[in-house]
Amino acid sequence: MTRLLNAEIRKLWTIWSTLVIFAILVVIDLAFGFGLALAPGGRHGGTAGIVPHGSSQWFVNVFSVLDVSRLLALVLGVLIITGEYRHKTVTPTFLAEPRRGRIVMAKSGVGFGAGVLLGALTMLTGLVLGLVLVSMKIHSCLTPVGVAQGMSLAVCSAHHGAYYVATTHNMWHEWSRIAPGVVLGTGLFAIYGLGLGALLKNQIVAIVVGLVFTLVVESIIGAIWPTIGEYLPGQAATALEDAARTNFGGGTTQLLPWWGGAIMLLIYGIALAFLGTSTTLRSDIT
Amino acid sequence: MPTIQARGLTKRFGADVVAVDHLDFDALPGGVTGFLGPNGAGKTTTLRMLLGLVTPTSGSVLIDGHRYRDLPNPTMRVGAVLEASGFHPARTARNHLKLIAKVAGLPFSRVDECLDLVGLSEAGDRAVGGFSMGMRQRLELARAMLGKPDILVLDEPANGLDPQGIAWLRDFLKLYASEGATQHGGGRIVIVSSHLLSEAQLIVDDVIVLTAGRLAAQGRLQDLLAGSKRSVRVRTPDAARLVQALHDAKLPALERDGYVVCEGVTPETVAPIMVENRIAVYEMGSSTESLESLFFALTGGEGMQIGQAAPQTGDYRRFNDGPQAPPAAPSHSPGSVGGQR
Repeated sequence: MTRLLNAEIRKLWTIWSTLVIFAILVVIDLAFGFGLALAPGGRHGGTAGIVPHGSSQWFVNVFSVLDVSRLLALVLGVLIITGEYRHKTVTPTFLAEPRRGRIVMAKSGVGFGAGVLLGALTMLTGLVLGLVLVSMKIHSCLTPVGVAQGMSLAVCSAHHGAYYVATTHNMWHEWSRIAPGVVLGTGLFAIYGLGLGALLKNQIVAIVVGLVFTLVVESIIGAIWPTIGEYLPGQAATALEDAARTNFGGGTTQLLPWWGGAIMLLIYGIALAFLGTSTTLRSDIT
Repeated sequence: MPTIQARGLTKRFGADVVAVDHLDFDALPGGVTGFLGPNGAGKTTTLRMLLGLVTPTSGSVLIDGHRYRDLPNPTMRVGAVLEASGFHPARTARNHLKLIAKVAGLPFSRVDECLDLVGLSEAGDRAVGGFSMGMRQRLELARAMLGKPDILVLDEPANGLDPQGIAWLRDFLKLYASEGATQHGGGRIVIVSSHLLSEAQLIVDDVIVLTAGRLAAQGRLQDLLAGSKRSVRVRTPDAARLVQALHDAKLPALERDGYVVCEGVTPETVAPIMVENRIAVYEMGSSTESLESLFFALTGGEGMQIGQAAPQTGDYRRFNDGPQAPPAAPSHSPGSVGGQR
């Protein structure tokens, strides 16, 4: 199994598409983060439809971009398995290790690791974004504490529309409080994507299904049947990230406890991967 | 000593396509086994079942009594060169091989050895996306050779190789199969599937001929050819009379391309008849059957279009126009009366 894991890690870093995903994450985080933070109009405030700097909604807008790590982890998970079919490298892979279940297990492990890296990277980028914004002193309320709280607020409330209630926390405390949830959630989302890829096999179909479900279908289901919505993968990840939501008042969407979110995500990943292994992946390689 | 045994091997695709139908065969070590058959005969499906990529509907094909997927580290036992195998275009040849070496627990020095073997040392650090068909084929062979396996399986390995590459591969496979072989057996199993019969004839020791998913013949190529038909070919100004004379002698003769061809006889039979009838001879030759004509006889000539002389304008045979008579021409040497190849 160690050999398989090593080979799968090597597979990831010997092609550039993996690095591209990591690069996209940093670029989106920084470009959109700064873009939203420095958008004209906000500085003067007051006009209808324009979000004043330093307001809770401004924080949410700026830092909600960090959430893209979850979607990229999903895509990476899909690529890890469907790339083998797309480029037909599945033939040499299965020749060298004909027990296909073991390959999926190794890939899940490596996918989780890559997802964790993506989550860590997005939290680091968010920290850089926040520190730079503070140092630019574009608004008096941009203190390190405010930025950190904004970050955690954004991660949590982008999904359930909580509004920010200022509390005075230490910046590092705020940051480190949400980081584990984001990192673990992103890692688990990669396994979810991998399971989706194992089941659907077609790269484009799996990516489209994964993104549309996470971005559109989940929101609709969540709005209509919140009790079902909270068990869906995206909301489960949010629950995991929002480990300390008691700091924020007025959440309108139901969420599972953080450990419940983690368990649900793990179940999705394992169930899909198992289903994929016992159906799609068993099929003949011709 | 490695063994490969197929017993009752059957593969259906869907309800009515039977790709392989109750196939029994043994592949023997020490020589190259040719896996021959027309397109769609089930060659590739059979090889992929051997390699655990395709699951048989029923029956089995076993390597030393085990299924491929039960081999603990198959890279060390079986090397496979397959047509539809893939490469990630952005990955270098060396990295492609290192992945497999990693899974098999082989040192990376073995990767360099195998790249060197197939002449890809220089290209090893280039992305496979820019490789020619022949280079990809050689990279496949390098991958198959990583574990120094005692069984090599190659599906249409000559595809994409230039003439030097084909000649090199031929020598390599013959040597590889016979290494370690003694009078008492031994050596390695090398299975080569091919539709290039003239090429196969140069390299194979044993043949397994498939047609429509069934076994048409199996055995040593020599024995199969020895038991096969001979033919005599004559160029004469009195073709019609000669055909008539041969028919009178109850011999199957026909006129083709300005020659009279008589199957199943030797010149010793034909010459006295010609003398008796005072028929002039310009040229006479005889042949034992080639692998190609043996193949036509075994498979009914389905779908084989290879190596035929260019037809006259407007006279193309359609792809599935049934059997064409065995081409006898290549092995005749003009003027050598009674000469045999």
